[in-house]
Amino acid sequence: MQIGLDLIRQALPGILAHLPVTLLYFIVPTALTAVFGPLLCMARLSRWAVLRGAVMVVVSFLRGTPALVQIYLVLYGLPLIFGAVGVDINDWSAGVFFIAASTFNFSAFVSESLRGAYLAMDRGQIEAGLSIGYGRWQNAVHVIIPQTLRTACLNLKNLEIDLLKGTSLAYTIGAIEMMGYTDQIIGLNSGVGQLWLLGAVSVIYFVLCALLEVFFNRLFAFLGRHEKQEALRES
Amino acid sequence: MNLDFQFMLDDTPTILKGLPTTLALTFRSLLMALALACVFGAVINARVPVLRPVVIALNTFIKGIPQIVQLLFFYYGAPMVSRFFDGFLGYQDDPRHPPYFLAAVIALGLNFGAYMTDVVIASVSAVNRGQLEACLSVGMSRRQAWRRVVLPQVVVVSIPDMTNYLVWLLKATSVASIVGVVELLAAARISASDSYLYMEAYIVAALVYWLVCIAIEFGSRKLHNHLGIYAIDLKNR
Repeated sequence: MQIGLDLIRQALPGILAHLPVTLLYFIVPTALTAVFGPLLCMARLSRWAVLRGAVMVVVSFLRGTPALVQIYLVLYGLPLIFGAVGVDINDWSAGVFFIAASTFNFSAFVSESLRGAYLAMDRGQIEAGLSIGYGRWQNAVHVIIPQTLRTACLNLKNLEIDLLKGTSLAYTIGAIEMMGYTDQIIGLNSGVGQLWLLGAVSVIYFVLCALLEVFFNRLFAFLGRHEKQEALRES
Repeated sequence: MNLDFQFMLDDTPTILKGLPTTLALTFRSLLMALALACVFGAVINARVPVLRPVVIALNTFIKGIPQIVQLLFFYYGAPMVSRFFDGFLGYQDDPRHPPYFLAAVIALGLNFGAYMTDVVIASVSAVNRGQLEACLSVGMSRRQAWRRVVLPQVVVVSIPDMTNYLVWLLKATSVASIVGVVELLAAARISASDSYLYMEAYIVAALVYWLVCIAIEFGSRKLHNHLGIYAIDLKNR
């Protein structure tokens, strides 16, 4: 017991020093997905059958294969693709490949979640928006996006939590974040107190997930601030 | 970008040899997760005094930490537990081959048990309470009512969500390749270590995963339609 606690005390500063890396691997894919997710969703709902079909296949692939396989595919495939156009990216850091893979994967899930929320929306809302003279963009900003986000919010929360937990896969391709650092320490100590260190790092992940949970629950309440009266009327 | 298609074709049988392990891992973890989910769900639904907060806390904690941390935890713990059980009921500890497969099953089973608990609770509450009351009013016992009327509906309601988690579980087994289980992904990695054609091997592995996922989803939809044949809202859809 004492050994374990001493070990945690020694290793904790190093683990926490790698927390920003974990957060980086979480925030950058989130920010990129905020762009790609809606785009994929719009393409999936597009009028052109070819685009729709292509996106459907890509999204199905990204949802139907493990994140770990996608990380490997990006790690080995991206240099091949860039090499074909004469750019050498073999010296890029592993983190870049992880962020790329993570963004692809996450965009696919987010786009499906948004699509479900969009389709669940009452068509009458869109017609009502148009009927009071909104243009397409005004309708999107004032009617469609707030309601879609509200419906998708709890789903997005689960996806974001998964994304955060998924950053721990980065160390499998040598991008050292919190989990990777812990694994290195375990290796350096030849496995002494390994379960203690894993326990410590899981508590950190748990706290991060709890913070996300609180944030998204607040966001959910905020997005639904206009819906209270409706809920009262129904009950 | 030129891929070695001949190698991909030749390598496919080698990689497919890992598929039974992946499926066995998925299936056994699923069984364990389902059993846990039913027990946990029953504890939470029946409001068992002391156990309920314990189960809720355990589930919340399990859902808040990455799968790989849990897998590593059981991976590192496996040799110790194996040594502890040496000689117990004829079990023999082999220090050179710790039970990594079993460790992965327990880790994934616990993890998905926590997620599936939510599905169980949601499905039970999705079945109208009037159904149970109607059964009691025509003189069925509680046990009969649950077995003949409520549970069959719970099963049908839970199929789509359970399928989601099954697909997710299948994908999560790929992480077990890091903790000493030679399943599909590990088989792909090993098969390519001779020629360094990792890209090709991983593409084949990805396609296999994709096909299995599509098959699971197809089968689940068929099963749902078949079992839900008496559910009015399903037929109308």
